[in-house]
Amino acid sequence: MRSVYVLITVCALLAMFGPMLAPHDPTAINIPNRLQPPGGKWLLGTDALGRDILSRLLHGARWSLGLAFVVSLLGLIIGTTIGLIAAQGGRVADWIAMRATDPFLAFPELIAAVVIAGVLGASTASLIFALTVTGWMRYARVARGIGLSVSNRGYVVQARLAGLSPLAIACWHYLPSLLPSLTVVWTGMLARAILGISTLGFLGFGVQPPMPEWGTMLLDARIHMRSTPLQMILPGLCVVIAVLAINLAGDALRDALAVQDAKT
Amino acid sequence: MISVFVGLMLRAVVVLTGAALATFALLWHAPGDPALAIAEARYGQNVSKEVLDFIRAEAGFEDGFWTAFWAWLAPLMQGDFGQSSVNGRDVWPDLVTAMSYTFPLALVSLALGLAVSVPLALIATRRPGSWLDRGAVALASVGVAIPAFWLGLLLILLFAVQLGWLPAMGAETTTHSILPAMTLGFGVAASLTRIIRSGILEARGQPFLPAFTRRGVARRDVARDHIAPHAAVPVVTVLGLELAFLLEGLVVVEVIFARPGLGSFLVNAIFARDFPKVQAVVLLAAVIFVLVNLAIDMIYRSLDPRVSGRDA
Repeated sequence: MRSVYVLITVCALLAMFGPMLAPHDPTAINIPNRLQPPGGKWLLGTDALGRDILSRLLHGARWSLGLAFVVSLLGLIIGTTIGLIAAQGGRVADWIAMRATDPFLAFPELIAAVVIAGVLGASTASLIFALTVTGWMRYARVARGIGLSVSNRGYVVQARLAGLSPLAIACWHYLPSLLPSLTVVWTGMLARAILGISTLGFLGFGVQPPMPEWGTMLLDARIHMRSTPLQMILPGLCVVIAVLAINLAGDALRDALAVQDAKT
Repeated sequence: MISVFVGLMLRAVVVLTGAALATFALLWHAPGDPALAIAEARYGQNVSKEVLDFIRAEAGFEDGFWTAFWAWLAPLMQGDFGQSSVNGRDVWPDLVTAMSYTFPLALVSLALGLAVSVPLALIATRRPGSWLDRGAVALASVGVAIPAFWLGLLLILLFAVQLGWLPAMGAETTTHSILPAMTLGFGVAASLTRIIRSGILEARGQPFLPAFTRRGVARRDVARDHIAPHAAVPVVTVLGLELAFLLEGLVVVEVIFARPGLGSFLVNAIFARDFPKVQAVVLLAAVIFVLVNLAIDMIYRSLDPRVSGRDA
């Protein structure tokens, strides 16, 4: 169990400080030294434009993991707000909020993200927008469900009778009981965001070259698969390790926090 | 039961209308002039202003969002998906061709995933905590973390490039479908194994089971009549999510293996900015998804007597 937390810490540190460890400029083109094998000056070799693969992977951590962090956090804020409005705002607000989440739940999130990012034009901004718009519903469902279940508890009723504003009740009485479940949902959504960002990058709708996002790197490496398979294998391996670490940490958190209802 | 069904159908209609509206609004706000995109696709560069005006009037662009939305929706409700803005051909026949590549692959992958995950989960749960069980859990945990595009490329590298056993690109013969089906089936198997395993373990822990075994009911009968239905409930619940996962994988897999299915159709349409095609695929996917979820909901209700009749 402890190894999971070590792994997740290493991933987080790499995302934050990885670029500083990079021996070369990740976007510096160096055609004479293209497709070099691993070893020597280029520890993991170079890609088709002579860029250092190790440096690109290290910088890629910031793109792939950092963007996933941003996207999942935005989803957390939006989803929790909508869920709490639904739980507190009476039947009409609840009905509107839940019917608004229905069409989003009714569609495979990643396909929706592909369409949104693709139609708006591939860029990092549309990537963030697309994944946030398609990634807040689970938070909203969980926040609403737990919010409704605590709304009749004694301390919430008392707070309401004491004249606390709905916002204060949401912050001081709903959020603490939501936190464990939301944390577990958040780890799941973070893992999904990493997969989503790399998938969109791979399809050409995500982070654009020359930026070294892992999925985008895979797209570049694909055509040189026969000659230099390593440059295709490594970015994918990074995605797998990051997602695995986050999933395992999520499982450990679920057990530690005894969360039952956040499996969706 | 009937009133529940009608309620679910009504919700499905609301969902589909919402999906249609969202798609249309997205394309309406897409950067660039849609009329110019259509004109250039049809007649090449340097289109005259008259042509642009004609196209705008034809598609109802001038009369505002709602008129244009209705101009698209009204024929759609009669089954007319319109024409491609790139080559002017009807969208529907091309969509049918794409489906004929996608659906068999999806079904085979789902079957493959079930054929692997059910026995694996059964073997694993014979002795929870054994090395076999832990191995299955580890395999499943790694499996759900592997992105489909990477697994597909690794399989191409191994079976097509290194060993030369299987073709990597295209969809001409059945052998062309083996690698795509393996890629998708693996992902399905990984996530299903986790769910079925925990479903069985949870069912095993139910307090009513010793009542049967101590009365002398055969273990096999207990497993079939009491554990299996109980374990099926969480599995059926997540089948909808599983389908979403499968559809997402299909897009990527079809692109990697150059299969002319719905996924490639969608990605190519987005790149070509062929919006009628994009709209058609999105709506088709929404219809499929809503119908399947409707079916899952009905099965779920018939499996779990506690929820049948209640509007969940």
